[in-house]
Amino acid sequence: MSKLGLFDLAVRYGKLTALANLSFTVAEGERLFISGPNGAGKSSLLGAISGAVKAAHGRVEMDGEILSGRAPEEIARRGLSMVPEGRRIFAGLTVQENLLVGTGQRRDRGAVADDLATVFDSFPILGERRHAPAGALSGGQQQMLAISRALMTNPKLMLVDEPSLGLAPKIVDEVYERLCALQALRGLTLVIVEQSSARAARVGGRMLLMRGGRIVADGDAAGFAAQDLLTEAYFGDAA
Amino acid sequence: MSLQLVFDALSLGGIYAIAALGIALIFGVMKLVNFAHGQFIAFAVFALIVPSANAVATLGIGALPAPLLITLVLAIGAGLAVLAERLVFRPLRDASPVSLMVASFALGVMLQNLLLVTYGGRPKAVSLWAGLGAPVPVLTAQVPLLQLIVIGAVAAILAGLALMLKRTRIGLEMRAAAEDFGMARLLGVKANVVISGAFALSGALAAVVALVLVAQTGVADVRMGGQIMLVAFIATVVGGMGSLPGAVAAGLLIGAASALLQAFLPPEARPFRDAFLYGLVILVLLARPQGLFAPAGAKPRV
Ligand SMILES: Nc1ncnc2c1ncn2[C@@H]1O[C@H](COP(=O)(O)OP(=O)(O)O)[C@@H](O)[C@H]1O
Ligand SMILES: [Mg+2]
Repeated sequence: MSKLGLFDLAVRYGKLTALANLSFTVAEGERLFISGPNGAGKSSLLGAISGAVKAAHGRVEMDGEILSGRAPEEIARRGLSMVPEGRRIFAGLTVQENLLVGTGQRRDRGAVADDLATVFDSFPILGERRHAPAGALSGGQQQMLAISRALMTNPKLMLVDEPSLGLAPKIVDEVYERLCALQALRGLTLVIVEQSSARAARVGGRMLLMRGGRIVADGDAAGFAAQDLLTEAYFGDAA
Repeated sequence: MSLQLVFDALSLGGIYAIAALGIALIFGVMKLVNFAHGQFIAFAVFALIVPSANAVATLGIGALPAPLLITLVLAIGAGLAVLAERLVFRPLRDASPVSLMVASFALGVMLQNLLLVTYGGRPKAVSLWAGLGAPVPVLTAQVPLLQLIVIGAVAAILAGLALMLKRTRIGLEMRAAAEDFGMARLLGVKANVVISGAFALSGALAAVVALVLVAQTGVADVRMGGQIMLVAFIATVVGGMGSLPGAVAAGLLIGAASALLQAFLPPEARPFRDAFLYGLVILVLLARPQGLFAPAGAKPRV
């Protein structure tokens, strides 16, 4: 059984169709990149999966259970976690408080302290600044915090929206290294929105290419970089 | 400056701060300016007395021993607010802030009319804890016992609330939700629990204001929540919408300014004290349109 399944999923904002009847599945433990130009519908897709955006049509399933129509908090409580576009750190809360916001739902309360220690082990800077307001962290540190905050909910499936946005290339390398290490360690299923298909190819995994709310290509990220499929996705029928 | 003036300023400002907190708590998590808060206060006042149209009220709950009385009235305030959320504001949760505000006006009018039908329109004399008017010597001043109790209670409530927000799970979730509700929900924070919690706290704070007002004035009046609601709303704006410390500080400041104006304005100008007070408010808002303590990143709306 696939981890995540989308069936004929559509999202509309008024008259605008942001997602046009998408279908695909993601296998357990897979790493899936979603790429495509601005406005392709990548964030809307993650929103429709996480429950933040209402689907106009179709359904989303996780482990065979229907998620569509449920509140975001119920979906989160089923083991889906989100690292949103722009990170959305709680700037006025301390670093540690940010990490704890999503732990109230966990049944394994005893493991929360261990997980917190693990986060501070792997990101010492977060440990050092645990009592500082999260808004005072640098962009890269905030991205690490957003990822760690999502992990603290103990998810099985994690959605990450443009983790490289606004970060220096060296920091982006580090973010991806961490993400991949965490995925291997935890057996996570990862869906990552990444504008740069070259970056996706370097990190490795499967890649979906979107344009205008549709999937225009689906395959191994490494195979994409060389192809003119990309040109097709970005410049489309304008050519 | 006389010591008495300090106590006047603290007790008046303290009550304004508690009322302003009641508004700011709900605004924080829901972006709703709850104009029914004044009627929540009035409702808690009338909950003390037996329904009748008589000019002198017969105490019902108000005749119980203080600990029981206070617990009951706080529970009634909290219960009313939670019920209002469930029946009125929850169905409107995705509506615009303006629609929510209008709905709160409507709820306030309905509550006021419910009180009018049940208790009649005339203000009633209520003697609650009559012994508290007795003056107590404090250093050079004679301070009414009630004033000391109010100041102590306000300090205890503020400390308790700060501790609750800082140290408990629901407090953490409320602060996260006040910053970014959508994000909090994506992390599994239950919207209904946080919002009900904020309403319950707000309603209990309305009941505190009600008890103080009745004890101070000895009157139950259907309209009595309106004036303090206005001051509380202004305090939340001056403090910076969405900032709880801001609401408290601005409530205290407005109370202090009010007491100072009362003491130092020439006698012939005193009837117009509120005009001076609101003039000061306008000056503050001209200097800082976003409020004195606007949360980081908050911008004034155009
Ligand atoms: N909340 C919204 N209201 C109206 N239109 C939106 C909203 N969010 C996104 N859109 C529109 O939907 C389309 C897809 O946006 P989005 O999912 O953010 O794309 P991407 O993440 O790929 O850049 C765009 O045309 C965008 O303008
Ligand atoms: Mg996007």
